[in-house]
Amino acid sequence: MNSRLVYLDHNATTPLHPLVKNSLIQELDSHFGNPSSIHWAGRKAKNLIRNARQNLSELFSVSPLELIFTSGASESNNTVIQTLFLNLKNRTEYICSAIEHPSVLKTMQHIESLGALVHRIPVSREGQLDLEFYQNVLSEKTALVSVMLANNETGNLFPIKRMAEMAHEKGALFHTDAVQGLGKIDVNLKDLGVDYASFSAHKFYALKGSGLLYCKKSSPQFPFLFGGAQERSRRGGTENVLGIMTFGLMAKMKKEITEESLRLEKLRDHMQQQILKLIPNTRVTGSSKNRLPNTLSLVIDGIDGETLLMNLDIKGFAVSTGAACSSGNPEPSPVLLAMGLSRAEAQGSLRVSLGWQNTEDEINDFIKELVLSVQRLRLIDTEFQKDFEL
Amino acid sequence: MIKKKRVLVAMSGGVDSSAAAALLVDQGYDVVGATMQVWDYSECDITEGSGTCCSSIDVDDARAVADHLKIPFYVLNCEAKFKAAVIDPFLKSYLDGQTPLPCVNCNTYLKFDHLVRKMKELDCDYLATGHYAQVLKNESGEMGIYTSTDDWKDQTYFLFTLDPKIVPHLLFPVGGMTKPEVRAYCEQRGIQTAKKKDSTGICFVGNKGYDHFIESQVSKEILDTKKGLIKRLPNGEVMGPHQGIHHYTLGQSKGLGLTHHEKLFVVKVDITDNTVWVGEEKYLFSDQAQVVDSHLINSVQDQEVLGVKIRYQHKPSMAKVIKTGDTTFKLEFLEPQRAVTPGQAAVFYRGRQLLGGGWITKN
Repeated sequence: MNSRLVYLDHNATTPLHPLVKNSLIQELDSHFGNPSSIHWAGRKAKNLIRNARQNLSELFSVSPLELIFTSGASESNNTVIQTLFLNLKNRTEYICSAIEHPSVLKTMQHIESLGALVHRIPVSREGQLDLEFYQNVLSEKTALVSVMLANNETGNLFPIKRMAEMAHEKGALFHTDAVQGLGKIDVNLKDLGVDYASFSAHKFYALKGSGLLYCKKSSPQFPFLFGGAQERSRRGGTENVLGIMTFGLMAKMKKEITEESLRLEKLRDHMQQQILKLIPNTRVTGSSKNRLPNTLSLVIDGIDGETLLMNLDIKGFAVSTGAACSSGNPEPSPVLLAMGLSRAEAQGSLRVSLGWQNTEDEINDFIKELVLSVQRLRLIDTEFQKDFEL
Repeated sequence: MIKKKRVLVAMSGGVDSSAAAALLVDQGYDVVGATMQVWDYSECDITEGSGTCCSSIDVDDARAVADHLKIPFYVLNCEAKFKAAVIDPFLKSYLDGQTPLPCVNCNTYLKFDHLVRKMKELDCDYLATGHYAQVLKNESGEMGIYTSTDDWKDQTYFLFTLDPKIVPHLLFPVGGMTKPEVRAYCEQRGIQTAKKKDSTGICFVGNKGYDHFIESQVSKEILDTKKGLIKRLPNGEVMGPHQGIHHYTLGQSKGLGLTHHEKLFVVKVDITDNTVWVGEEKYLFSDQAQVVDSHLINSVQDQEVLGVKIRYQHKPSMAKVIKTGDTTFKLEFLEPQRAVTPGQAAVFYRGRQLLGGGWITKN
């Protein structure tokens, strides 16, 4: 294996930010108290959580009391969908997009099996949601709409503000899985006007195992995990103090988010332009206009994405073929299939997602290696049929 | 600097392939590990860690060994291919009254086909497995497959369908070692699977036996059409009904459900009327066999007397190998052989060299 490792899979998860790592080491001994304890150890832990909540509320332009710490976005998504289904009896219809994360899609499937009517908004090849369909299925019967802020594979951004307004006109609630937006674009929840939003710390250079659920003060909220009085009895269970602390530290980096967005967008555009130029029969998946600054999703004709990924991995480059959750699975990306790509196209998908620690040199090396690997793999295909009669 | 040769090593999570990977690392190769996921574990009743080669815990073991060796490791999903090339023919063979040998198909269509392709795709020079076999050059410099140093473990029987073109690309790192040596090496190398049980039997069948496996995969309607009578050779006396020809294999004497004063054996399964013929052991012996769909790795002279293995745990017996067609042979054994079983392979050897083989068909 190559000694030099280049990580280009930041939509799956991110490495720890160096500042976070340093603070973490400093707090390792002092964080251990139970935040619910009255004594000095408890107070210390409680304060770490308080500060994190304060920082995150500033980042999202909301009130600290509107933020509930969870174990991650999957829990947050489950909480919103399942508790509303259990508690809102007068509205029984739900709407989500066809390309949500499995923690939304599978939860929707679950409540569907329990009697909810679920509408799934189709998405075009260009990655755009069918807003006419959305308008048509929205009604006084709609309980909740859940649409992601940005898609994990294509990076395409969805018109959440407008879609939330449309839902509210019918008296429906609106949730957004905002995981992929965090740390890549400015996420102003007040401005978006959503009722609920989900986040994971590990997509934002903080520790795994910590996440957030934003619940607008005026919107209904019900506990999902019952237990102690943590999170004002809205989420039981002793808090993940260190995870929350790292999340809170990252929340102070509003300036860096803006700077990195601009830098990564340039880097990504350079990479895209070079790849499209050097590798024939390659296309960007979804819309190349309205998307996250760090994400490049491609279909490379005649190439098996997984084989390409292995080749790049051997050379030290970590990329993805669609979402990490579907790796090891022979089925092509459901997101790409939902967008109307053929199975063959979806098999040839490659996702490169940049992060704050990537450099221009790394990207240039990656482009070189990608071009070589694709050339070699395309050659084998013809050679092999001759040699081994497969 | 000379570029290191790169090897793709098939890792099952067992001792032999773990040792193979470690040996290659020690020998200075650039090693890439891969496990073929061949069967849906969620439907598999195998108890984890029971020493078979397909449970998910084994994939985890293989990954852990790769991590220990600091080599990249991938799980290749081959479920669809495995079902089509191994499971379906396995079931068909039993329903046709034969005794299948699924490991050969797995080698032919997965290990030495799918993985050969992966070898090329991952820019590897060689493909290695944990088979007990050796790739050696003869005096004229020709590459061939030879039996392993450990006679008891030798697995060349399962390799007779190998394409001669890929032989120069194959490495069998444990082929020159005995099993105890392999275990000792793993132990010394700090490989956690060193004490793992040997895989025995067929990896996908599980603890409940192949009858149960067949019943879980084939509809009752089809299985019901395989019921028939047990008859006695040579007088044709009806001994009773049976529950399907897939329960019987040539030479079987246990589980026949017969109360008879002398020991009787299954000596023939007639698929035209599903009759299972039983009789004294002497009827099991035959001095010839017909072989079809043969593959040759190295050439065989017509009428040459070669060592022939007719089942895995069988000492090669001398037989005259007579060519009867492009891919068919007739074997004339110098001494009569017990239970020459249709569905099993007849594999040819010149001394320790594996020459090829074919499938035993009805006489």
